Amino acid sequence: MMLFSWDFLLNGFSTALTPENLLWATVGCLVGTLIGVLPGIGPSSGIAILLPITTVLPPTSAIIMMAAIYYGAMYGGSTTAIVVNIPGEASSVPTAIDGYQMARQGRAGPALAISAVSSFVAGTLSLVGLTFFAPILARFALAFGPPEYFALMFMGLTLTISLSGRALLKGVIATCIGLIASLIGQNPLTGAARLTFGFVDLMAGVNFISVIIGLFAITEILVTVEEAAELMYKTKKIDWMPKWADIRRCIGAMVRSTGVGFFLGLLPGCAPAVTTFVAYDLEKRVSKHPEEFGKGAIEGVAAPEGANNATTSGGFVPLFAFGLPTGPALAVLLGGLMMYGLQPGPMLFKQNPQFVWAVIASMYIGNVILLVLNLPLVGMWARIALIPFPVLGPLIILFSVIGAYSIRFMMFDVWVALIFGVIGYVMRKLGFPIAPLVLASVLAQMLETSLQQSLLISQGSPAIFFTRPIALVFMLLGFLSIARGVWKQVKSGEPEVALEDDEA
Amino acid sequence: MGGDASPIDMKTQRSADIASGLFLACLGLVVLYAATSITGGMEERLPPRTLPYFLGTTVLLAGLLLSIKSWRYRGPDTAIKWPSRKGFIRVLVAFVSLAFYTCAINLIGMPLATALFVAFLVWYLWRRKRRVFYALLTGVISGVVVFYVFIRFLELSFPTGFLGP
Repeated sequence: MMLFSWDFLLNGFSTALTPENLLWATVGCLVGTLIGVLPGIGPSSGIAILLPITTVLPPTSAIIMMAAIYYGAMYGGSTTAIVVNIPGEASSVPTAIDGYQMARQGRAGPALAISAVSSFVAGTLSLVGLTFFAPILARFALAFGPPEYFALMFMGLTLTISLSGRALLKGVIATCIGLIASLIGQNPLTGAARLTFGFVDLMAGVNFISVIIGLFAITEILVTVEEAAELMYKTKKIDWMPKWADIRRCIGAMVRSTGVGFFLGLLPGCAPAVTTFVAYDLEKRVSKHPEEFGKGAIEGVAAPEGANNATTSGGFVPLFAFGLPTGPALAVLLGGLMMYGLQPGPMLFKQNPQFVWAVIASMYIGNVILLVLNLPLVGMWARIALIPFPVLGPLIILFSVIGAYSIRFMMFDVWVALIFGVIGYVMRKLGFPIAPLVLASVLAQMLETSLQQSLLISQGSPAIFFTRPIALVFMLLGFLSIARGVWKQVKSGEPEVALEDDEA
Repeated sequence: MGGDASPIDMKTQRSADIASGLFLACLGLVVLYAATSITGGMEERLPPRTLPYFLGTTVLLAGLLLSIKSWRYRGPDTAIKWPSRKGFIRVLVAFVSLAFYTCAINLIGMPLATALFVAFLVWYLWRRKRRVFYALLTGVISGVVVFYVFIRFLELSFPTGFLGP
């Protein structure tokens, strides 16, 4: 069974290059960059809000656009980090360290250009990785049955818990709450009501897209409203040409950050917010002049930006090969695929190769589009970030309401988003991690189905997860990551506080 | 950015963890209680009550553990950044207006509700600058865009109120 061939890839390119799909990829890149530039809205909430509205498109175009929004947003976050020192996403924080210093020295242009070039190089290199890695892993995954999938998702959840900061118990609780919320409604097997407390409205069940819109978009607005932010900055004139010497100086950083970003990006829980810091730190260590870092070192911009985009592409490997999202934004994308009745995983490669390869090919094209669009448009993007929050905030809420409502055309989903907006706000205040909740609510249905099917195979014995070798490895890795987290916490004895886990 | 004066220091991370742990333990109990009323045969390989029981118990135990752990913790403590009084009022006003908006959509239709909500919130968040005109303008534009783009063009079936079907 061939899952990769040059024919597939070429066919993918011919699909992705049709005028229609090219248009949607460009729209996606533009919208994505806009989402990345705007503070208060990131890739996860952006995709979640737009997902229900895109159902007018055919699946391939819709997913091409969603993917473009994702990597476009990961790119856009850097522009404002450099120009006005407002990282649009958590993953752009390290970019702001040296990028803003460069801007203050009048070198905003080279900083922006190097971030575009580095994003392009790392993005494209890791797409090559995606192109060859995903089919290999998918082939491996063809041998997976329900027990393996259950074990894989279990591992994904535990890794996300143990990597999302020092808050292990809180991560476990957040995961359980995500799962419990998805149990509400009808039992998919028997149709009987569960956890509805007798409310008829709850029978419809909690849709994870409204959960995500609440946790990200609404929560972010509430947090920003509290701070009474107004974002009034003046931009300087930006000239954007870097010197060749600058680019040459960064080649090493680009390659290293691609490696870091791509391979860490394969792991669940390793969001770009994590890998960009790792890449920045690595660059500082290997640099001949580490003292320049923090004072406007151009490698300090190239490294996190490269890692950012490499992680984004890397995350598509487990998504396509196993159907396992490694972070909230990919979880939303997975939700999008499921909305179209497409179940990512090896069968998708087998049954819908045109679709998978068109999306992958479109990502190569998207990277070029981003580079071409963004070099000249940088000044415009930087100005958009200066829309005052009092105008931007209410508009983001409006789009959240529209997005939540159009999932199933039910006011109930809007209320769910509102409630999870408050839950997210309180969780952030109390140091609970949000990523495990999001992942759990997206994976819940598949977890339950695979658990049910596994127990059917084993006639009710949970030993099935420990007697099949692949499942056993995943389960052990899952338990080990939890055990390691517990051990670390017991040793330090410190209070639990999640990392500032933003989007993506 | 900035913000107002000092945050309310009433709660530190430790006391908040004790309280939220207890609250979550109660939530676990509620789930366990609700799970008892789930109907369905035991003949299933995965009995319908198993997952809710398991998750409820986990939340109950993890909540209790979190409480106990924080109770016994005697190290340096950090303050939780609760909103200042003014910040709290701002969050409350934003949220309540959002809730009103959601209710109003069914009553007076999406376009009008949107225009009112957006105009109000823009005015409220910007009230120090007294940008009444901008607030009204943003509100009206939002309402018009919602009607023509989302309802007419994209054919999303929002309630339209008096603007007819």
